[in-house]
Amino acid sequence: MKARTASLLLMAPALLLLAAVFLYPLLRYGWLSFQASSVLTGLEPVPNGGANWGRLLDDARFWTDAFQTLRFAVCSVALELVGGLGLALLLHRPLRGRGTLRALTLLPWALPTTVMALGWRWILNDPHGPLNAAIRSLGGSSYGFLSTPATTWFFVVLADVWKTLPFVALLLLAGLQTIPEDLEEALRLEGAGRLQILRRLTLPLLVPYLALALLFRLAQALGVFDLIQVLSGGGPAGSTESLALYAYLNAMRFLDFGYAATVMLATFLLLLVLLGGGWWLWRRGDLQGRREGAA
Amino acid sequence: MAARPPFSSLRRWRSLPKLLTTALLALLSATVLLVLLPASGLSSSGMSAIPVAAADPVTVRVLMPAPLADAVAAPVAQFNASSPGVVLEVIRGPLDTETISDLATGSLLLGEAPFDLLLVDVSWLARYVAAGWFEPLERWFGPEVLAAMEPGARLGNGLDGHLWRMPLTGDTGLLYWRTDLMERPPRDTEELVAISRDLQRRGRVRWGYLWQGRQYEGLSCVMVEVLHGFGARWWNGSTARTELDSPEAVAAAQWLAALLQDGVSPQAVASYAENDALQSFAAGDAAFLRNWPYAWREIEKGGGPVKGKVGVTAMVGAPGEQGGGTLGTWGLSLIKGSPHPEEAVAAIRWLTGPVVQRQLAIEQGYAPTWSTLYDDPDLQRRAPLLTVQRQALQHPQLRPPTPAYAQLSDLLARQVNGMLTGQGGPGPTMAAAQRQSLQVLRSLAGPAGDTADGRPAVDR
Repeated sequence: MKARTASLLLMAPALLLLAAVFLYPLLRYGWLSFQASSVLTGLEPVPNGGANWGRLLDDARFWTDAFQTLRFAVCSVALELVGGLGLALLLHRPLRGRGTLRALTLLPWALPTTVMALGWRWILNDPHGPLNAAIRSLGGSSYGFLSTPATTWFFVVLADVWKTLPFVALLLLAGLQTIPEDLEEALRLEGAGRLQILRRLTLPLLVPYLALALLFRLAQALGVFDLIQVLSGGGPAGSTESLALYAYLNAMRFLDFGYAATVMLATFLLLLVLLGGGWWLWRRGDLQGRREGAA
Repeated sequence: MAARPPFSSLRRWRSLPKLLTTALLALLSATVLLVLLPASGLSSSGMSAIPVAAADPVTVRVLMPAPLADAVAAPVAQFNASSPGVVLEVIRGPLDTETISDLATGSLLLGEAPFDLLLVDVSWLARYVAAGWFEPLERWFGPEVLAAMEPGARLGNGLDGHLWRMPLTGDTGLLYWRTDLMERPPRDTEELVAISRDLQRRGRVRWGYLWQGRQYEGLSCVMVEVLHGFGARWWNGSTARTELDSPEAVAAAQWLAALLQDGVSPQAVASYAENDALQSFAAGDAAFLRNWPYAWREIEKGGGPVKGKVGVTAMVGAPGEQGGGTLGTWGLSLIKGSPHPEEAVAAIRWLTGPVVQRQLAIEQGYAPTWSTLYDDPDLQRRAPLLTVQRQALQHPQLRPPTPAYAQLSDLLARQVNGMLTGQGGPGPTMAAAQRQSLQVLRSLAGPAGDTADGRPAVDR
């Protein structure tokens, strides 16, 4: 019992800190989501009987943005995992100048998102950007990449993949280095091919790292804000708007803080359901795998 | 699984020290830059803070979108030359209306705006006034000032019994027509469709009517005109509620949907903003175009196939109804807490005065607000749209003057664009828009949104 009290005491500072930066804002959002707090109330909170939540359920923009956010997260994270794995495998191989290569691959990750998004916006500029200049020099005519929903979406995903691929690769590279080389050696002596080694040895041992990368990246991608705000502003016609951007607009453009809190909280709940569901599925698969392994 | 904790393997990464050094160097240089930049700024402002003379000139700063800032550059220089005690400084803001509003909102929310005057779009006024960011202007500008303006130019400046904005421009939505295809412009919406279909049948033109159907603010401006043209209204100022599900409103939506169904307007209209519609019209694709006054100069400047063959008229309504274009005006407002309001008001007086408006009309095609300018024969010659612009300013339509306008506009444009792309009929579309509008008002205003005692608009 004494040890338990001591451990609680030792954990208290951390718990207090967590409560201050996490629990308090959450409770505050929860409270604010049941208030009208806009220019119509003089920015003072006035209870509005859950009208924010009723509005949310019927808010086409919220649900469109939820779908768009999810689509962005799934596509970009999937590409990052596949690409990151490839990159990690490449960097794991003994190469000349491997250290320099590894440092170079990290560059996009080191760049602040705002700077890199501005860079992409310039590349895609119509008609002055380098991409359009290249198209013109090949005999084509300038294309409004950022005024067409499909191409805008494509480049938002591409920019995100370009930036965060190194992060995923780094995580997976760390995982690869924990795999003892003699295991691979043994498999190779038994006549296993490269693909077989990858499938039977590397990937299974890499699962915790893949899961970690997935979790980090999914949480980040579902809350994407800066990249989209700078690169496309959520446009054209809201086709790349994310939930975080919508929450921001409600507060900063519409001065509607009650609803902004509602959107924020709803986004958090969606994220929780999604990540919780994913974790549950993974656990179930894991347990099943172990049971099968035991049988 | 190896028992090693995940990140210990990083130690094996031999280039890590090198990388760290690089990162450290980068950080260091960034810090040096950050320290140096404000320091250089400080030193220059420190210089000017040294009391050179007893009467330092007062600096009045005004934030404007870049094109307008450029357009008033010469008058601003004139002002500075003729008023020794005041320096008027124009801050060139972003081009996009929404972006400049975001910029202004950001600094106003923080409390101390770095500008004394703001060029305000008519659709922001209610929100900014409700936020308490403006100083009323009636102390300096009495009712006789507005009385010297065209009727439409007086709208969208007052709210709750106060004057918040002095209008600089009097632009409205206009109907463009092809003088080579018809004798005279249509008088109402039925004629517009009849002429279009006749011309299309005879193969004279591909499309009848081009307008803005993309899901954005521009579609809301179209809706204001069509709703009014069918005897409906978007906003009821006395109840502070929307009336989007009235039979007249549904008929208005029905008319727009029919334009696409009958091929009078192309399906592509559902993705058109101002410029898309203008480009297509300027290429000779259509008989009619809905746009703002700037489009005329673009067509005449461009030298395309319809140059010299375009007439402009006020927006039409349904038979028996008075048509009216949406008001899209800019005006100057005084920021609350400006340290030198008297000097700022002097700047407003000059910038919204006849000299500046005259120049804007000649160089940019902006409609003046002062009635005397419309009577000026020289200006009539140099700004050919003047007569039509004056006519349009007799019955212009205001977008709902409520602080909730941005949200109401967003959801109506979303719904109507959905209808245009075949996601629902006019009835359900307008019913959904009305339902969502009331939800937004309730969520914004609390219990007040439930009753009918919201803030009434003084303008109407």
